[in-house]
Amino acid sequence: MSVYIQSASHISIQEPLSEKWFTEPQIPEENFNLSIEPDYKQFIAPIEARRMGKLLKRAVTTSADALRKGGCEMPDAIITGTGLGCIENTEKFLNAMLDNDEECMPPTAFMQSTHNTISSQVALTLKCHGYNCTYSQQGFSFDSALLDAFMQFQLGRIGTALVEGHDEMSPDYYRMLGKIGYWKKEAANTEILREGCGVGSISGSSSVAILLSNKLNNNTLCEIKNIITLHCPDNSEIKTALENLLSESGITMNDIDAIVTGLSGDEANDAVYKEVAANCFNGKPLVWYKHIFGESFCASAFGIYIGATIISKGFIPEHLLYKSEKEIKNVSNILIYNHFQNKNHSLTLLQTVKG
Amino acid sequence: MSEIVVTGIGIISAIGNGLEQTVDSLLRGKSAVGTIRYLQTKHKEIPAGEVPYSDEQLRKMLDIAPDCNITRTSLLGQVALKEALKTAQLTEKQSFKIALIAGNTVGGMEKSEQYYHHFLNDEEYKEYIGLHDCGACTEMIANGIAFDFDLTTTISTACSSAANSIMLGADLIKTGRADIAVAGGTECLSKFHLNGFNSLMILDNEVCKPFDKNRRGLNLGEGAAFLVLETAESAARRGVQPICRLSGYANRCDAFHQTASSPNGEGAFLAMKNALEAAGLTPTDIDYINAHGTGTPNNDESEGHALMRIFGDKVPPISSTKAFTGHTTSASGAIEAVISILCLTRGFIPANLNFSEKIESLNFSPVTEVHTNQNLRHILTNSFGFGGNDSSCIFSKIG
Repeated sequence: MSVYIQSASHISIQEPLSEKWFTEPQIPEENFNLSIEPDYKQFIAPIEARRMGKLLKRAVTTSADALRKGGCEMPDAIITGTGLGCIENTEKFLNAMLDNDEECMPPTAFMQSTHNTISSQVALTLKCHGYNCTYSQQGFSFDSALLDAFMQFQLGRIGTALVEGHDEMSPDYYRMLGKIGYWKKEAANTEILREGCGVGSISGSSSVAILLSNKLNNNTLCEIKNIITLHCPDNSEIKTALENLLSESGITMNDIDAIVTGLSGDEANDAVYKEVAANCFNGKPLVWYKHIFGESFCASAFGIYIGATIISKGFIPEHLLYKSEKEIKNVSNILIYNHFQNKNHSLTLLQTVKG
Repeated sequence: MSEIVVTGIGIISAIGNGLEQTVDSLLRGKSAVGTIRYLQTKHKEIPAGEVPYSDEQLRKMLDIAPDCNITRTSLLGQVALKEALKTAQLTEKQSFKIALIAGNTVGGMEKSEQYYHHFLNDEEYKEYIGLHDCGACTEMIANGIAFDFDLTTTISTACSSAANSIMLGADLIKTGRADIAVAGGTECLSKFHLNGFNSLMILDNEVCKPFDKNRRGLNLGEGAAFLVLETAESAARRGVQPICRLSGYANRCDAFHQTASSPNGEGAFLAMKNALEAAGLTPTDIDYINAHGTGTPNNDESEGHALMRIFGDKVPPISSTKAFTGHTTSASGAIEAVISILCLTRGFIPANLNFSEKIESLNFSPVTEVHTNQNLRHILTNSFGFGGNDSSCIFSKIG
């Protein structure tokens, strides 16, 4: 059984539905960053778009874009990770409830507030009756969705799957999370984030759709060898899990070109990556992405997307390397390591399908 | 492929704390849907199935200090999880990999809606900001257990969340990623849910009447339930007697409407059909169906048509237990799975309360009286969520 990444699409704080971030990223100058919206008309009829919240539009659009690029009309499964669900509609309903003392409540906001609205809207648009599931486990939501998809392939139940990560950040939620240390207090830039002192990062917004298939085609970006998950592990458990992941694929740490990490500028978050890197990654180059995509519960979806993009292009541009190093060429094996608050951890191995 | 068995179950809902109280209430045929006591809402005229304990009483039951920040959803989850672990004789960590999968929909909303102005305007109650999301609720449940889980995750597919958690648990075992999976769901009443369902005009102002021609809507409920799943070999290794088998399951999408179900119940039909196929069973093998049966005009008709497409004119004995507990949303898949398992092992079929007249377009009526001394081999239980997230599980007797 093999699982391939056929295509991917994103709407984020970088130029949407584009790979421009890979060579010419926009460097965020604020700590609160909004997604750049594409022209939805290509993907959704205006009459339908008016009925959809922003996150639903992004989900439908990234899904359609990934399916088109991957040459697939109907996926066998749609599996989504979202940390907060449609938080703007949730807030709209909550505010109406508190302001109007539980009277005259807007049903549409409630209908579009549940987390699974996203996956089911994609299914509704595609008329897809296949497996449909939604995970909400903080910064491990997308990882859970990917794990589920991988298992559905392993169990022989599906041949294709859309695996998605969608989170939006509202101004109010940004303020609330700021009170519990999610964001830098002063305007941060790449250098400040790289120093990794004190609490917080910069915020982003993530909509990523990835098309998986068990069949190779001409557009295939890479193969996913496996995803391993751990909960509150110590270093030796991570090391053992990593050794198993590599050995089952017949490679060693020497074959890994770089490790894609969720380094974000938050001291406690980064300390975990640095410690694991020191103990398990043999000095291999670290890639980061939250300095250009920002932090969000589904940011780990960018980890997989970036890993796949690197492998398909065969090189790692300088701006994605955590330590100032020269561009890395001839890339064929990428490890993606993600953790959320040192509780949920995941290790994913991506490998080239070329020669 | 190895067979998945259930070795532990735990439950709390309006009809009781624990397995014995639950069975007792089901046998007595008494609804626990009534006037809201604890939820702070102005809509006290709307009945609900509230768990008859305050947060303080639940904390005391669990020995949780008053200064520990925890949501009601997590308190209910811990109560059910502890009973499930106890019945499975899982009190300490041994050399196995164990996963916890919990379903929930609005996370810590019941606290967020109380403290929201503080969240935005001052520093008070800010510890609850980080407890708002669904995943935080699962972590709080895991924190109450003496050992560490090797995986925790949360499924949020509205009212089928817990059913999908059970499926994920089984798949983790089948793929060798866990030896034991503890799966279920938990959800407490919240003003958010009460007003949300009310805004959709699908709440009944009296106790609901599933599958009745004059049904007017659902009653919300709250609670939690968990199942301990493992392979028969793992149970044997641990010296634990399996309670039953999880013989089949499937998740399909109706892909019809954000909240309404399709007239012919396509998603429900596919979920039941694929669950039967996975179990290697035919429709005539099913001895009892615990229906989703919310009591809304739309659900019961749609589910009914899906049932007729599967079972033809021989729909097996069927009841919805939602008039007992209220619709426990994210927890319902696990609460009704535990109820189904209790029916299977103790040989009874609970009544579908408040039924008087058949839905005209359907060819079956639900069971209206409790039946005891039944030999039930296979039970099908349905859980359907908003967005057409439809799931079915089949539990079967051992041997």
